Amino acid sequence: MLSNIFLKTLRDQRKSFMWWSIGISALMILTILFYPSVSDSPEFDDLLHNMPEALAKLFIGEVSDLTSPEGYLNSQLFVLLMPLLFLFFSISHGSGAIAGEEESGTLDLLMSYPLKRSRVLMEKFAAMVVIILAFGFVFWFSIAVSAVIIGMDIILWRIAEATLSGVFLGLVFGTLSLTLGCSGNNRGLSIGVTSALGVAAYFLNALAPVVNVLEPLQKLSLFYYYIEADPLSNGLDLAHVVVLLGLTGILLAVALLTFDRRDLVA
Amino acid sequence: MRLLLDFIRPTSGRAELFGLDARIHSVDIRQRVGYLPGELETYTNLTGREMLTYFASLRGRIDWNYAEVLAERLELDLSRSIKTLSKGNKQKIGLVQAFMHKPELLLLDEPTSGLDPLMQQEFYIMVREAKAEGRTVFLSSHVLTEVERIADRIGIIREGKLILEEAVTTIKDKALRQLEMHFASSVPAETFNGLPGVRNLRIENNIVYCSIEGSVDALIKAAAQFEVINITSHEPDLEEIFLAYYS
Repeated sequence: MLSNIFLKTLRDQRKSFMWWSIGISALMILTILFYPSVSDSPEFDDLLHNMPEALAKLFIGEVSDLTSPEGYLNSQLFVLLMPLLFLFFSISHGSGAIAGEEESGTLDLLMSYPLKRSRVLMEKFAAMVVIILAFGFVFWFSIAVSAVIIGMDIILWRIAEATLSGVFLGLVFGTLSLTLGCSGNNRGLSIGVTSALGVAAYFLNALAPVVNVLEPLQKLSLFYYYIEADPLSNGLDLAHVVVLLGLTGILLAVALLTFDRRDLVA
Repeated sequence: MRLLLDFIRPTSGRAELFGLDARIHSVDIRQRVGYLPGELETYTNLTGREMLTYFASLRGRIDWNYAEVLAERLELDLSRSIKTLSKGNKQKIGLVQAFMHKPELLLLDEPTSGLDPLMQQEFYIMVREAKAEGRTVFLSSHVLTEVERIADRIGIIREGKLILEEAVTTIKDKALRQLEMHFASSVPAETFNGLPGVRNLRIENNIVYCSIEGSVDALIKAAAQFEVINITSHEPDLEEIFLAYYS
C-alpha cells in the first residue's frame, strides 16, 4: 500500500473512511427501516400538501408525495442529506490532497523525489475519485440492502443512478477544493470557500422555483444538475452528467496549470 | 536549495545542476539528488520503515539493505511509529532517506539539527564516506564549527547575495591572524611598521601585538634580529571570518 502516492493516499484514509462508512450505513438503514411506518400513513402526504410551498421546496425538494418509495427516499435522503454529505466528504478529501500535504510540511520532501508536479497531482486526484466512488458505493449498498430487507418497491439500479449523481456532484466540489488548495498553501480557505459555494448552490437551486428573482439563475447551481432530472425516478440525465463531469475536468486542468507554475511554500 | 529543486522559481536568471537546467530537467536532477529539508516534516501516521519504504518506491529501485544499514548506524528504530519519535530520531529518518540511494549530490539543510553529539559524529562519517566515493555534499548550517570541520569549500550569503565562495584553507590563509611576540628587551616600532601584511601593530612592555594577513615570513625575519622569548598565534576560526564579512 505504500508503493505510490495514489495507494498511500488511499491507505491514509482507511480509518476515517471506515468511520464514515459506519455512520452512513447506520443512517441509511435507520432511515429506510422507518419507511414502512410512513408508507402506511397517508397523513404524511397531507402534511406535505399543507406545508407552505417554499418550505417544502427548500427541505424536501420537488416531490409530490412522501409515501411512495421514490418520494420517501428523495425527501429523506437524495434532496438534502445525501448531497450535503457528499459535499463535505469530497471537500475534506479535495482540500487535503495538495494543500493538506503542503500545510503539514511534507510536500517539500515529497517533491524532492523525481516526480513531476502533474504526476503528484494526478495521483492525488485519482485517489480522491476512488474514495468518493467508494463512498457512493457504501451509500448505495446500505440503501439497497435495507430496501431489500423491508421489501421496498424500488429498482436498485435507480438507487445506484441517484447515488452516482451524488458522486458526480461530490467530484465537482472535491475538485474545486483541490484546485483552490493547489493555488496556494491554504487548506482552510479551500474548505471554507468550497463549502460556502456548495451551500449557496443548494439554496439557489431550492429557492429558484419559488423566488422570482432567482429563477433565471437556477441553472448556475450545480445542485440543479444533480437533482433536477430526478435520477431516482427517471435515471441519470446524460446532459446533466456531462455538465458535472465537464466542470470537474476543467477544474482539474486549472489545478494542473496553477500547481505547475507556482512556488511551493516552505 | 529549494530553487535548485524547482520548488521555487528564480525571479531572474537560471540555475544549473549537473549541467542541466534546474527548471526544465527538474525530474532528472531530482533523480540524482538526495535532499533533507531544513524543517523536516514526516508522515506521523507511519512507522519509520513504512515512510522509508514509501520514499524508496517513489525513487524507483534502491538497495534497501543500505537503508537498513544507515538506520542501524544512526541507531534509529524503524519499527516505531514516527509519532512517538523525538526530533532527533525524526531527523535521522530524514538523513536516511537522503542518503539511502547513494545520490551523486546531497542537498542538506541544517542536517545535524536535533542530533545528539554522538550521532553528529556518525553523520560526519557519512559525509566523509560520500566524499570519498566521489559524491558531493552541499549543506547549509549555522553551526560554523561543523562547517569548518566537514566542508572543503564554503560560500557565505549575505542578504541574498553570495559574497564569498572559496576553499576553507584559502579563506583561512587570507584571514587575519592575531600574533603576539615576547622579546627579551624593548624593540623599536619602526622595525615592524610597514612590513607586508602587518596590521594593528601595538607594542607594550617588550611585547608586540599585531594582526597579520597572509605569510608571516617578513615579520619573523624582522623579529629574528632581536632576542625572541615566545611567539603565540592562534588560528582564526570560521566564526571570526564570518563575522568579519558581516561587519
